[in-house]
Amino acid sequence: MTFRWTILLAAVLFTAGFLVNACKKSGAPAAPPTTPLTFTVPDGWPQPLYNFEGNPITKEGFELGKKLFYDGILSKDGNFPCASCHQQFAAFATFDHPLSHGFDNQFTLRNAPGLFNMVWLPAMHWDGGINHIEVQPLAPITAPNEMAEDIANVVKKLQQHPEYPNHFKAAFGDATVTSERMLKALTQFVGMMVSANSKYDKVKRGELSFTADEQKGYEIFQAKCASCHTEPLFTDNSYRNTGLPLDPVLKDYGRMRITGNSADSLKFKVPSLRNLYLTFPYGHDGRFYAVRDVLDHYSHGVQDGPTVDPLVKNKIPLSDADKFYLQYFLRTLTDSTFIADKRFGPPQ
Amino acid sequence: MNAMRKCFIGLALVVASLTSCQKEYKEPAPDHAFSVRFRPVVQETDNILEFGKTYTNFFNEPFEVRTFKFYVHDIKLINTENGYTFSVGKDEHFLVDAADTIGSRIDVKVPTATYNRISFKIGVDSVRNFSGAQTGALDPALGMFWTWNSGYIMAKLEGTSPVTGQPGDVFEYHIGGFKAPDNVVQQVSLPFPSPITLRKDAETEIIIAADVYRWFNGVHDIRLDTNPVVMSPGPLAKKVSENYANMFTVLHFISYL
Repeated sequence: MTFRWTILLAAVLFTAGFLVNACKKSGAPAAPPTTPLTFTVPDGWPQPLYNFEGNPITKEGFELGKKLFYDGILSKDGNFPCASCHQQFAAFATFDHPLSHGFDNQFTLRNAPGLFNMVWLPAMHWDGGINHIEVQPLAPITAPNEMAEDIANVVKKLQQHPEYPNHFKAAFGDATVTSERMLKALTQFVGMMVSANSKYDKVKRGELSFTADEQKGYEIFQAKCASCHTEPLFTDNSYRNTGLPLDPVLKDYGRMRITGNSADSLKFKVPSLRNLYLTFPYGHDGRFYAVRDVLDHYSHGVQDGPTVDPLVKNKIPLSDADKFYLQYFLRTLTDSTFIADKRFGPPQ
Repeated sequence: MNAMRKCFIGLALVVASLTSCQKEYKEPAPDHAFSVRFRPVVQETDNILEFGKTYTNFFNEPFEVRTFKFYVHDIKLINTENGYTFSVGKDEHFLVDAADTIGSRIDVKVPTATYNRISFKIGVDSVRNFSGAQTGALDPALGMFWTWNSGYIMAKLEGTSPVTGQPGDVFEYHIGGFKAPDNVVQQVSLPFPSPITLRKDAETEIIIAADVYRWFNGVHDIRLDTNPVVMSPGPLAKKVSENYANMFTVLHFISYL
């Protein structure tokens, strides 16, 4: 009796399963499985503004993003991958270049910023013109003095490439290349770049201690710099005029180019100080070659003007000793594991 | 007894799976194929715009057009008599391109009913201007996205005129901006010449004239000699949008059996 009930039950469950399956659309081949990757927020940090919602990070998407980042195919003549201006050993800034080099022997307008902790940024670029990390790559790809390409043409080149369609299939389920998928893959790669393992971070985690000089520098930093270069990201993401006179050739008015508001004239985004010693030269146009030059600017060089920030308008009183200790502290912001992290290096 | 209870659970599962197959019933269903076709014209609704042909604007400035595109979203069919409104949806965006007879037509599904008015917005919903990478009509590869100052070009009119004083005599109106006070998204609401009752067994197309002549005047004077180039958000872009918000006229309907 029990046996018969069991058979009946099995038949009922089988029918139920069949009916449930009948609801699903059939015909389309199953998408290949992807391997999820985890994004970890460092302890004590705020939640990121970009949380990969709508763009879940997978090994396949990340690897595609990396391949795109290091491939000149995104540029008009093939010579300018993202990585030509964003070099890992310089924390993804351009090493030792005030302005970077783009298509046809041209300079870029501004100093290439390092790429790390991008998902905490409310806007990209020195002028904050880019309102979402996913669309950032469109700017360098299309700028005539950078990669000089056309978005539709990049999509076409990738679609016709012998390998890329397979990578898009692995990451997104089918081999169709779209600008959206390209941008999302790039975002997975760049968004994963978190730099949170400097000596400063180790001190904060209780693994190491500052030397006496570093500690003195940290105290000066907190008193005189931290209101704009706010911990733990070392920027408050505001736009400020720090009293740098206009370069007569570049004629770069910064934030005003985006807002059209004269109150924003000569304002630029406060950059993070993390990996400072890897990302020289400094300033939106790279006019300062050394950290010491920047400190001298704040103590002696600030030129007053209508939009100069009240915090620096009267210069920042910094003695030679202050500058000495500050530099000891700022060196603790270098993350040597980040620049050696093979995940972010060129594809093997 | 125990086995019987299991059996009931099994039956319940079957019933549950059958019910889950049914779609939620909605009345009325948007099952009628409805197309909105934009006819690019100059000054007169029967004067169809030809690229490369010389026209004259209100200020007697000669001009030729080579590009004429605009985004449309938030399409609604309305019956002001009984208060019924069918909304196609705020999220669905369409790029109308006068260069391309297919691109000048929007295909949607609406319920069969009687309507006497259509409304839509010209431009891209403000949220979609800071939503990151998108595809379809909002694919940045379509050339309607500002890469250096994130946001969509919501309407584009380009061409040449001898009065512009620009290289190649060009004029370029790239109209965008989604932040107040310079948000250029414009609401358009157009009455039908007479109410139309959509027939269940037919497809309906509405023909709407989009008049480039209206870009230059009407609300604000936009002269080709003084304002040949508008390519960033701001008060000037807003003025142009306030002009072209008035460029539409419903001409007639076509029904296909």
